[in-house]
Amino acid sequence: MPDIQLNGVTKRFGNSTVIPRFDASIADGEFLVLLGPSGCGKSTLLRMIAGLTEITSGTLAFDGQEVNDWSPSRRGVAFVFQSYALYPHMTVRENIAFPLLMDAFRKWHHIPLVSSIARWNLMRRPDIAERTNQIAEQLELTPLMDRRPASLSGGQRQRVALARSLVRDPSLYLLDEPLSNLDAKLRTQMRSEISALHQRVRKTFIYVTHDQVEAMTMATNIIVMNHGEIQQVGTPDEIYARPANTFVARFVGAPPMNLLDVRRDGARLSLEAGTSWSHPGAFPAGGRLILGLRPERLKLLPEGQPGIPAQVALVERLGAEVILGCRPVSADGTSSGDLLRQDLIFVRVAGNPRVAPGAKVSLGYDADAAIWYSAETGQALPDPRPVSAMVEA
Amino acid sequence: MSDQALLERPAAVPAPTSRKGRGSQGLSRLLPYAFVILPAAYLLVFMFYPLGRQVYLSLTRTRLANPNRSQFIGFGNYERLFGNPEFYSVLKITLVYSTMAVVLGVAVGMIAALALNRPFPGRTLVRGILLFGWAVPNVAAALVWLWIFNERSGVLNTIVTGLGLERISWLTSTDMALPSILLVTVWQVAPFVMLVMLAALQSVPEEVKEAAVIDGADKLSVFRAVTLPHILPTLQLVSLLVMVWSIRRFDIIYLLTGGGPVGSTSTLIVKLRQVAFENHDLGMSSAYGVVGLMLALMVAAIHALFNIRRQRSNSR
Amino acid sequence: MTGFPKSVTRLLHAVLVLALVIFGGFPIYWMATTALSLNSELYNTGQVPWPQLGNLPAMLADLVQLPLMRWLVNTGIIAVGTTLLSLVLGALAGYALSRFRFHGKGPLGFLMFMTQVVPEALILVPLYAMFITLGLLNSLLGLVIANVGFSLPVAAFIIKGAIDAVPYEIEESAAVDGCPRISVLTMIVLPIIAPSLAAAAVISFFAGWNEYLFAATFLRDRELWPASVGLASFIGQYETPLSAVMGAALIFSLPAVVFFLLIQRKIVAGITAGAVKG
Repeated sequence: MPDIQLNGVTKRFGNSTVIPRFDASIADGEFLVLLGPSGCGKSTLLRMIAGLTEITSGTLAFDGQEVNDWSPSRRGVAFVFQSYALYPHMTVRENIAFPLLMDAFRKWHHIPLVSSIARWNLMRRPDIAERTNQIAEQLELTPLMDRRPASLSGGQRQRVALARSLVRDPSLYLLDEPLSNLDAKLRTQMRSEISALHQRVRKTFIYVTHDQVEAMTMATNIIVMNHGEIQQVGTPDEIYARPANTFVARFVGAPPMNLLDVRRDGARLSLEAGTSWSHPGAFPAGGRLILGLRPERLKLLPEGQPGIPAQVALVERLGAEVILGCRPVSADGTSSGDLLRQDLIFVRVAGNPRVAPGAKVSLGYDADAAIWYSAETGQALPDPRPVSAMVEA
Repeated sequence: MSDQALLERPAAVPAPTSRKGRGSQGLSRLLPYAFVILPAAYLLVFMFYPLGRQVYLSLTRTRLANPNRSQFIGFGNYERLFGNPEFYSVLKITLVYSTMAVVLGVAVGMIAALALNRPFPGRTLVRGILLFGWAVPNVAAALVWLWIFNERSGVLNTIVTGLGLERISWLTSTDMALPSILLVTVWQVAPFVMLVMLAALQSVPEEVKEAAVIDGADKLSVFRAVTLPHILPTLQLVSLLVMVWSIRRFDIIYLLTGGGPVGSTSTLIVKLRQVAFENHDLGMSSAYGVVGLMLALMVAAIHALFNIRRQRSNSR
Repeated sequence: MTGFPKSVTRLLHAVLVLALVIFGGFPIYWMATTALSLNSELYNTGQVPWPQLGNLPAMLADLVQLPLMRWLVNTGIIAVGTTLLSLVLGALAGYALSRFRFHGKGPLGFLMFMTQVVPEALILVPLYAMFITLGLLNSLLGLVIANVGFSLPVAAFIIKGAIDAVPYEIEESAAVDGCPRISVLTMIVLPIIAPSLAAAAVISFFAGWNEYLFAATFLRDRELWPASVGLASFIGQYETPLSAVMGAALIFSLPAVVFFLLIQRKIVAGITAGAVKG
């Protein structure tokens, strides 16, 4: 059961450095999600853990043993590819049994013609056949055993890929965006199946995705990455409630967190184009500030009440809730040219309130809804509330 | 995964050794060589060593009876060669033969491809029949064409005399021998051209053609503006292949005329054999062969240069 | 094409196709016709322009006099040997050229291209001398070895093109499953590219089947003659009736003709997959 240590792992392709330096510790039994946009290096990292891509420098250790030079099968990992990478010329049964065959093969079995005979024999061995059937049954693949991948649906192929990874009972499961090629409904279903699988086998899962919903619903721990660097490590709750920087803040959560470039004026805040309002809480130290407010923490209030004065520009009715895109207005109620260029502020309101575009409103919020970031570094600033108040919340 | 994919697959090579070879493990570094050693060694021993020896032989005086005893004479053979009017005749025949083989072979093949590009009843059977020339082995082709060309009893002369004309000495007159061989060559080569050009024609995207028709183009203009540019690279490649093959060709020419009459069908390679086995001069025959090789290489090089030029202007 | 009524175009098209068919198919037709003619007709009274099936028994009787069976067996051995060796070496080279980067990769590719430019007659004599030393002269194995030099690169080219199209992730998946490279090649990659393997096999097979020059030069024993040499020996001699010679030639041509008739589509797909693009 490896606990995994990455120390100073870097990856260079020729002259470009994809991963400058990666340090992490992954505990046994975790469901770790590597979350980030396309090109951030998360798949490269996964492949380095698997042994499919060489580590340029730094060490990767399983249970304290350095495994940089170990082959993938020696590391005892299972890898599920985004495209599933099933063997197209083999049946489902042969696909699932393949890792077992490779385990049973001795060195000399790999001589070209000998391998065919060995394979034919081994497929008939009772223990291999039994294990194959057992795993297939777990993933409800029994009726499909003698079909070829080409005749299967996306979801079925996904399950064959999972079965193949399960069959050797590996100590580490690595999944590279396995749900990207499925339609939305199937994705939701497979998400819960993979989570259930994790519960069942109780092994370490490392899962790569750019979909923050997958990360939030499945992970025990998330590492958010961008440009090959770690942005934040934490549980889904931590990452959602306290994003460490503006990148994470906007990456996790839909609609994304509102980030407002504000100027402080005593107890009031104002936006560059003229909107100003009275802020209900304390202010952090520091120069230029960014105020982060999650859409669901903003309250839709009638015009004039304490909050950010705004005008509704966009209404999206989702059935159980409504998402409003609001444009901040200045004190006299007008939206000047400048104001129109501001990003919309998104608000989430439960139910189905009667709001139409053009309505003038006020967006209120509680003091503890505010998350502060430095405008210079993008990093989160420490909570300005006194310690006792935080404990209360 | 688009950017991701670009990052992980440098250049156009899908699997650089940096993926599989784990740095310090020397064994996996050697893996490519394990794969390549057999074919490479095979080619070096049975193809390039003999070739090298032959090139060396061309710089020597060697008799057929004693192939392993050579006397080095530098460029002596070549001097004699380039001073010999016979050589220029052979060279001319080679160039005429190969060029005409390309022109006629590609023309007929292209016409056949165009004719077969539209569906009609029995198309598959027709295409099969048109492939015969390529399928039939050289020796069998030689036998039947010798009979067809036979001066006294061959079917061609039967037709000719039936029309009231004089018998034609297809393979035995210095005027007609080369054209007759060209006829057989076209029969053998056009099917290959047809197959390749058919595939090229069928790979022209339908939508572009339809767009042209909508824009008011008639059939000929569609062909000129859409189809032709698309198939041009393939056409060039096929022409190159036919040219190079014709420079190399030996079997069919030798079997039909032996290089005669009076050397009127002796291309470089046919001459090579004559000089080696009848004149017993291995050094000189090698010189002929080397010239043939150089000629083929030059043609290939010219083609490659054209390609590079074209790609450069395309990417502007 | 441009201003003609459709019916005229169609007529022209039909005439063109007919002309092509006559040009392409006549020699085979004539082979059959001549095979089923009487010698007297051929040389004296004038050849009958259609095959006379009544002459079949006589022709077969003459045919049986020839060592055709033995020749064909030899031809078959050479063809099969060329195919097997070309495929094995071509698969190794094709895989390496597709998947690996290594020193000498460029030169290797260039050398393989060169083999298609080199005239066979050019290496005839050195190969002859070499085979004397190696004891390969006058042997079918020697012929196979000589042929493979030319068909190996073609097979490798076709196989490389096919492997390029196989997603590398499938091989990585096999690696994760504990499969070493050589078995990745034999158990996974080669089965996936089976159609291209077939195309390469066909090309190598017929290259060996049709080969004449090396066979004529290297073989001493008549016992070892393949059909190409045996049939060529009839050129210029009049002992054997022409009808039997044509019959033998027809049988010699039959495998290629029948095969190409039946499998046209797949051959084109297998060979021209790479060629049309580049």
